[in-house]
Amino acid sequence: MYEFLKYTVKDAMTPSPLTTTPDTLLRELEKIFETHDFNGIPVLNHEGRLVGMVTKYDLLKAFIFTPDSPIPRYGLIMDRPASSVMSLDPVTVNPDMPLSRLLQELVELQTKSFPVVENGRLVGIISREDVLKALRRTTAA
Amino acid sequence: MTTLLYNHPVCMEHDMGYGHPECPDRLVAIYGALKQPAFAALQWREAPAATLEQLTRVHPQRYLDRIMAAVPKDGLRALDGDTALCPSSGEAALRAAGAACAAVDEIMAGEADNAFCAVRPPGHHAEPGRAMGFCVFNNVAVGAVHARKVYGLDRVAIIDFDVHHGNGTQAVFEHQPEYMYLSSHQSPLYPGTGRSSERGVGNIVNLPLPPYSGSEEIRNGWATLLAPALRAFRPDFIFISAGFDAHRLDPLAQLSFTEEDYAWLTREILAIAAEFSKGRVVSTLEGGYSLSALAASVAVHVKALMEAPALAAQAAARIA
Repeated sequence: MYEFLKYTVKDAMTPSPLTTTPDTLLRELEKIFETHDFNGIPVLNHEGRLVGMVTKYDLLKAFIFTPDSPIPRYGLIMDRPASSVMSLDPVTVNPDMPLSRLLQELVELQTKSFPVVENGRLVGIISREDVLKALRRTTAA
Repeated sequence: MTTLLYNHPVCMEHDMGYGHPECPDRLVAIYGALKQPAFAALQWREAPAATLEQLTRVHPQRYLDRIMAAVPKDGLRALDGDTALCPSSGEAALRAAGAACAAVDEIMAGEADNAFCAVRPPGHHAEPGRAMGFCVFNNVAVGAVHARKVYGLDRVAIIDFDVHHGNGTQAVFEHQPEYMYLSSHQSPLYPGTGRSSERGVGNIVNLPLPPYSGSEEIRNGWATLLAPALRAFRPDFIFISAGFDAHRLDPLAQLSFTEEDYAWLTREILAIAAEFSKGRVVSTLEGGYSLSALAASVAVHVKALMEAPALAAQAAARIA
């Protein structure tokens, strides 16, 4: 019954996740989202440091009405780089974080996934689905 | 008495490219609605080209020259990211502006009560020296200045219920107290102007509406802000920048007007026109990009225009 409390982030995360770069075009990102069922992808710079997170929400947000143009320039927007829409300095979590605390943050921040960082390096990603899976495992009759 | 309907085939030839929402099919949809038996009493008129004299009251000569020189022999020529000219666009733009002037002439000659100009390109984003937002010449401004200069009217009002703020019309009139410009529009939205604090010389009245505003918000805004300002101005002539893209089905914005809101607004404007302007109203098409919503909204708008004299007579009888 209390099994879940023993879990940490590293027990439930997806290690070595797919990543992208700041100069990846939005149309390439869209393809990644289409191929993989990720909510968000960590963005690493050329040194392999985490510089942002880009989510489906960020991608959608690029196409909203703005005062700049009566019609969003759909085609041109698709050619913008990930750096133009990604969240900078995303909230990250440590692999040793208790999963109960991680669950709390997911709910409070209404975030769908967090990059997992250890000693400044990305080591995984943990999502709502990962936590649900751990809950299922630890509460199975 | 009579409601005039101005149009011209060349306005359907102005084509800014495949898929552009400001497209010839908008007029196809409108004409389809207005050819129904309920509109048999409409008097259809061919829109003449605006004269140089009419246009230069609003746009500098060098701007006109630049636009006409930019009209391509074939293909498209971009004026901004959203506005382009095709080979027919020059004549279409001239006739779109000319329609408003011709409508003024007919009404001032007593040949008609009011008019709807089913023309394109639209006009309210066009500034004196700049085409933008699908607009080339500011049709409603050209018509309004024509009414004042040629017929010596003291006060001319323009009401703009397009979902986008008419930055161009505001720019033309913001220093001229003989004109009043009143606009309801979504904010934030293109073109970013139209804040309540933009008041010109006391002759600009902006009603910015947040996304998802609908019947209640526009009717309250009309009753508490726009109508009192318009009545206090005592207009001799009223123009309408009639955009129908605040409709709940429009793909370019997020307001939630219905056809009934457009009918109601039109009747409200006509009531003020009957009181102060001898019923003189010229309405000219601006936006509206859901073809079905556009056709239905124009239909109720024009129906209200056609019923205006009868409504005014009823109102007068009640007062008597």
